[in-house]
Amino acid sequence: MVGQQLVNGLFLGAVYALFAIGYTLVFGVLDILNLAHAAIFMLAAFATWSLLGAGAPLWLAAPVAIAGAGILGIILDRIAFAPLRRRAAPNLIPLISSIGMAIIFGAIARAIYGPDERKFTLGFLDAAPLHAGPLTFTIVQLVILGSAIAFMLGLAWVMRATALGRAIRAVAEDRIAAALLGIDLERTIGATFFIASALGGLAGILTALQYNSVQVDMGAQIELKGLAVIVLGGMGSITGAVIGGFVIGMVETLAIALGLSGWSDAISYGVMFVILILRPTGLFGKRTLRTA
Amino acid sequence: MKRPVFYALALAAACALIPTAVVGPSLAATTKGPAAGKTVKIGVIADVTGSAAVYGVQQKDAYDLATDDLKSGLLDAGGANLTFDVEDSASDGNQVANLFQKFTTDGSALILGPTLSGEARKGDPIAVQAKTAVVGTSTTADGITSLGPCVFRVSLSEAQVIPATIARTKAVWKYKTAAIIYGDDNAFTKTDGDIFKTQLEKAGVTIVDTETFHIGDKDFAASLTKIKAAKPDVIVLGALAEEAEKIIQQAATQGIKTHMMGGNGLNSTKIYDYAGPAAAGVVVGAAWYINGNYAGNKSFVERFKKKYGTAPDQFGAQAYAAAQLAAQLVKDGAATKDAMCPALRDLRVAQTVLGPIAFDPGRDVNAAPVILQIVKGGFAYFH
Amino acid sequence: MNVLADFYAAHSKLIDQVGIDALLALSLSISLQAGQLALAQAAFMGVAAYISAILALDAHWSLLPAMLVAALCSTIVAGLLALPVRRLRGIFLAIATIAFGEIVRIVANNLTISGGAEGLSGIPADATTPWIYGTLVVVSIALWLFSRTKFALAIALVREDENAARGVGVDVGLVRFTTLAIGGTIAGLAGALYAHSNFFITPADFGFGRMEQILVWCVIGGITSPLGAAIGAALLTILPEAIRFLADYRDFVNGAILLVVVLFAPQGLAGIRFGKRG
Repeated sequence: MVGQQLVNGLFLGAVYALFAIGYTLVFGVLDILNLAHAAIFMLAAFATWSLLGAGAPLWLAAPVAIAGAGILGIILDRIAFAPLRRRAAPNLIPLISSIGMAIIFGAIARAIYGPDERKFTLGFLDAAPLHAGPLTFTIVQLVILGSAIAFMLGLAWVMRATALGRAIRAVAEDRIAAALLGIDLERTIGATFFIASALGGLAGILTALQYNSVQVDMGAQIELKGLAVIVLGGMGSITGAVIGGFVIGMVETLAIALGLSGWSDAISYGVMFVILILRPTGLFGKRTLRTA
Repeated sequence: MKRPVFYALALAAACALIPTAVVGPSLAATTKGPAAGKTVKIGVIADVTGSAAVYGVQQKDAYDLATDDLKSGLLDAGGANLTFDVEDSASDGNQVANLFQKFTTDGSALILGPTLSGEARKGDPIAVQAKTAVVGTSTTADGITSLGPCVFRVSLSEAQVIPATIARTKAVWKYKTAAIIYGDDNAFTKTDGDIFKTQLEKAGVTIVDTETFHIGDKDFAASLTKIKAAKPDVIVLGALAEEAEKIIQQAATQGIKTHMMGGNGLNSTKIYDYAGPAAAGVVVGAAWYINGNYAGNKSFVERFKKKYGTAPDQFGAQAYAAAQLAAQLVKDGAATKDAMCPALRDLRVAQTVLGPIAFDPGRDVNAAPVILQIVKGGFAYFH
Repeated sequence: MNVLADFYAAHSKLIDQVGIDALLALSLSISLQAGQLALAQAAFMGVAAYISAILALDAHWSLLPAMLVAALCSTIVAGLLALPVRRLRGIFLAIATIAFGEIVRIVANNLTISGGAEGLSGIPADATTPWIYGTLVVVSIALWLFSRTKFALAIALVREDENAARGVGVDVGLVRFTTLAIGGTIAGLAGALYAHSNFFITPADFGFGRMEQILVWCVIGGITSPLGAAIGAALLTILPEAIRFLADYRDFVNGAILLVVVLFAPQGLAGIRFGKRG
């Protein structure tokens, strides 16, 4: 049973990790906690569902929805964050702005899709689970695990080996200096939002496939868990988001395995709290504590 | 005309009349009761938006359908102008209180709802203070009807259904051990879990594992792995449809083939729609059978499906039953706030889609639970 | 006179809600005035609500002593929270306090004394409108008097520039501790009043959703203006009832108002009324 529980924790963690990458990227670059990330997570899943319903195959619907999520991220920035940047507003304001956008996105989704849960009718979702000895898992779970790792590596490559990646890191390090060096701030920030939101959208689509469920409320729980993940991993660190995701997934699974299912969430929040008190930069965060 | 033709026509007319007599409410003619011509407004409080929207929308749909049926004569209010004022409480306690206050001060004769037991605990006392009668359709926790002498309920409480569920399944499945998994942050599912636990122990069953989850959880792998290792004879679900369907599906993925049963929350066709063959065989202790032959039930289900594209679930059926109850009360002359409570107390029987219902001295509904089993395509009686 | 009486009879619940929400907004406003993004008011409210409810239900206390003891408890909790988070700033402080709030909610969900998920029912409804607004008036006067002290200046200085404040000898730690504690007291009073006017409380009443609401009121009303915060609370509490005719679009309007204020009136409504003040 222990082996199965470890496997359970691994797959749960992969979902958290994918979601947290986008979260931490925006925070690392802009010091903004984007509470509309979970809404984009949800909208991408619905977009995929709608496209599939219109007859598109999954290998077309998903990338389109992911790209759409990225574009939605840029729109989100243009409406809710860019005007505030020009005003140099304190960090609280973009947070509120993102709450407003999250509410609006949710209202739109509810108006189109209603409160009911939707399901995919894809063959491979009902496929028999795979076995490796005493362990059981599904194809979708493997895909999620694979995606989390692949995208982390891909993102790491982008950040290190491309001009865009260098620009993003420069802006994250020191926005003013980056501007002085001739980096186009708005374009770089736009690209950051595209990547972060595309990843959030991917996380939403994979989560929806994993549990075969798309619903307007699907982002609510993961939003708060995502916070725990990026705090643990270090806000602004992509590696931290991935590792943090797996750790939180494991911790929650093990809590349940130990009979503490009523407290599993409290344990995650407790970990979050303790990390912030003892080591606010988390496991991998490089930034020193900034005054907001 | 020729005699055989005349007899054939008479026979055809008679045949046409018989189904309408069996179905119950007359199809085309409404009667003229003591409240004919009066306007009777009934306030309905439902969570059409917010976290409980899945249930509230079913309820609103049922009342909207009832309004259509009043217009077409399928529901008979004795010639009175009966309206349902359905307002959205948005799963927000404050709005629930405000709506209760609205309906107790705007001349409404009766209040139907609210959607959740917790909301009833917040709002019913307001109606009690204002001496307006309340009929709950989905509030199944303990202690709701004892909030006041005019608080009634058409929804069978879990305390009424679960003992019957256990008795029937134990007789057929003959289990000795059980594992329970229930939601611990929702009054509905927590009540399920608690009552199942007490009643199972009373029936001599050993609980080998108890797991809890939170509303909104999607991943039950860890809990199911534990349950599987405990090897129970039966698994009990204290859950609402969304979580139940995932638990059932994920249990199948882990190769769990144990018997499963649950409470009211599982009485929705969504479970089979979602979990497919994995859900076949799950037993549900319920207050309504979708294929039941009671007053207008089959036609209600058809009309609901036609209007909304989806089958009604228990929440929708109970709401419609309340509408039927209200129409009957108005038809019999209860047209004002003061007349409603005595009329409800003195009600002998109301024919509804839930079957014939009446109220016991505690103002809970006097009806028999139905023990159903999920099968391909819906539900069947459990044998 | 009759018109007023009728209006009150039809809307007393809403009027009471406005009073309680105004208190909650004030409690957060204090922390925000010190530049502290301490988002634990919902938890303080919850602690006090439960304690006052338990005192009323199990020990049959009347409102005033129950309220005072409950507020004392929430103050203590706030003080205890202030210690571990004393070095946190900005978003980090926000997240830590949100985590704290969630833990409190889950604890309430798991304990039997708090009734678990089924909550506490049948709480005597003795927090009538005079009690609520009486408390609001007392708290407002106290805050106004407080704003005239040197300590209040220190608070403003800490918000503007913490290092400069430290430079001129302000005990920043004390300022942060005090503002959090006072916030805890006011939120506690609000919590007790909430419990005693709602008949029933459940852990979900005091979670992140409530905290988000309170934060939104303060932002809309004006982060650094207590009067603005109270007005923001009043307006947004009345709003869902006022726009009931919009049915399914109420949520959308909520989000839109938030966005519009944030983008076009960053000082909140108080900024519009009183011009650009800090």
